[in-house]
Amino acid sequence: MRQELGQQIGEKARELLSSGVVECVIGYERATDGVTARPLFVYGVEDVDRLIFDDTCIHNLTRYLLNRRDKNTAVVAKPCDSRAINLLLNEKQIEREKVFIIGVACQGVVETRWNQAGETLQARCQLCSQHTPVVYDFLVGEAPPEQPPPEAYADVLEMEARSAAEREAFWQEQFDRCIRCYACRQVCPGCYCSECFVEQLDPLWVGIRIAPAENQIWNTIRAFHLVGRCIGCNECERVCPLNIPLSLLNRKLEKEVWELFGFQAGMSAEAVPPFATFEKEEKLGIGE
Amino acid sequence: MTRFISKKDLITWLEKLIQERILIAPTTKNGLLLFQPVSEVEDIVLDFQNTELSPKECFFSATETLFAVKREDGRTELVPATVDRDTVLFGLHPCDAMGMAINDKPFLAEPADTLYGQHRARTTLIGLPCSKPTTECFCTSMGGGPHDPTHLDVLLTEAEDGYIVQAVTGKGEEILPSSVVEREIVSPPPPSVEPVPAAGISEVMERVFEAPYWSRLADRCIHCNICAYVCPTCYCFDVRDYANGGRIERVRSWESCQSPGFTRIAGGYDPRSSKGARLRQRFYHKLRYFPQEFGALGCVGCGRCIRACPVNIDIREVISDVQKLGAKIGT
Repeated sequence: MRQELGQQIGEKARELLSSGVVECVIGYERATDGVTARPLFVYGVEDVDRLIFDDTCIHNLTRYLLNRRDKNTAVVAKPCDSRAINLLLNEKQIEREKVFIIGVACQGVVETRWNQAGETLQARCQLCSQHTPVVYDFLVGEAPPEQPPPEAYADVLEMEARSAAEREAFWQEQFDRCIRCYACRQVCPGCYCSECFVEQLDPLWVGIRIAPAENQIWNTIRAFHLVGRCIGCNECERVCPLNIPLSLLNRKLEKEVWELFGFQAGMSAEAVPPFATFEKEEKLGIGE
Repeated sequence: MTRFISKKDLITWLEKLIQERILIAPTTKNGLLLFQPVSEVEDIVLDFQNTELSPKECFFSATETLFAVKREDGRTELVPATVDRDTVLFGLHPCDAMGMAINDKPFLAEPADTLYGQHRARTTLIGLPCSKPTTECFCTSMGGGPHDPTHLDVLLTEAEDGYIVQAVTGKGEEILPSSVVEREIVSPPPPSVEPVPAAGISEVMERVFEAPYWSRLADRCIHCNICAYVCPTCYCFDVRDYANGGRIERVRSWESCQSPGFTRIAGGYDPRSSKGARLRQRFYHKLRYFPQEFGALGCVGCGRCIRACPVNIDIREVISDVQKLGAKIGT
């Protein structure tokens, strides 16, 4: 079944490349550990057989569309990844007609580390109820039968129940070990500012120190810049070399946006995001 | 005859070292194995493959103050940072010790980096041989070896109910406790390490600079700084002055050639603005420029960048691709 998916993607890639519809197909191939997957850019039909798809294909490849804004590109997108395409369309970062989306109906992916693929689905996949991409041009795979969505925020609720001092101590400990490698930013489809606030010199928002105070500013502002924009692909947490639980922070903010505005990022390219508009009825507790 | 210390005496020795100096050793915290200061011997992890980050941080910290400028009563005084305590770095593997020796070349060449020099002078390296190289290790192809004592002060090799003690330097000899005894004992053979085709790589690199290979490889690179920050031999940094009242501090922090804007200069021009040029720089620095300038490859084969890269940029694959490419292009 999984092998078939890779073949179906490969056949579509062959068709798209040979007909000149796209110049490049971004998909997955086996990594050098022989166990996990890695992104693959296919420019010619001679390489389409390298394409694979299985439950180790964890990367959100839509980030790469930002490097190919002016070129016709096909991209393999899981349902979570496909939401990033809507986000980027909504924010006018990519053009729909330049992107061909090979959607994959997804049964979930596993935790991977170098040379290791887990047996069970990622925690976020166990909570996921979006098994078909929200936007696609061609679909492969079969979505699993619908199940009632489980409680998605158990860990967030557990954190909310703690005192402010406990929460502060928790996050301080997490951020203290950050080395500011910016992998979380570089991998994120929503983090595409041509100059990130951490690198701005005038005004100087945060210095170069890799130290607790600066780490806290970096991690907090990163999360806040993604409020109502994070699509939950969890790439930031996956790539963090120091295992900082970034999804806990991201999903807390996602929950707030859902409760306040009933909005989920990336579900449609047309819906106006809460931070791009203002309704008179919005109170948000300001001045109360 | 070989010198030997029993496991019990090693613990006593380490306890003494914790009292007298700062002892930095591999310990586990938040599920990560890192070199950290330890206060209890039992926290030290002895049997491990590789730590997540290299121990370069002991000499070249992620962030440190180089000097402070104090202004008082119309006088200006420059106060350089000093290292005032002795440290023992315990448990590092030969590849990490070799990493330090490689970093010594740029840091200690004149004009020497005095702060780095002080860290080095006041730190004793007590290493353990690598008994279980990972599948991504390739130290033997970079001139090292899992049991190579060369760049350590002391090497402790596990045997029978203790460790074979090898004092490599005078500094190592001085730190040994009196509980070290002579014993007839045979050292275990080093484990085998998968080789990479690194022979002549530096010369081949010269021929493939213009190859489209680099921009294709960079397609999947996300240009984070993970590879540089986990690497024992990446030594780039940024420097900034911080003013706080009458006190100014000059601070340096790790930086990496992979970050967008690393080579951006006044006026906004960036000679390495493309992704391909940035990624190429990483491999040219290690395999071409560093050997040209300092006579040694700038990689120890510890495999950390391979393991940590989110998109599987694998230096072993790059070396092997470059060899094939070089053979195709010819001399």
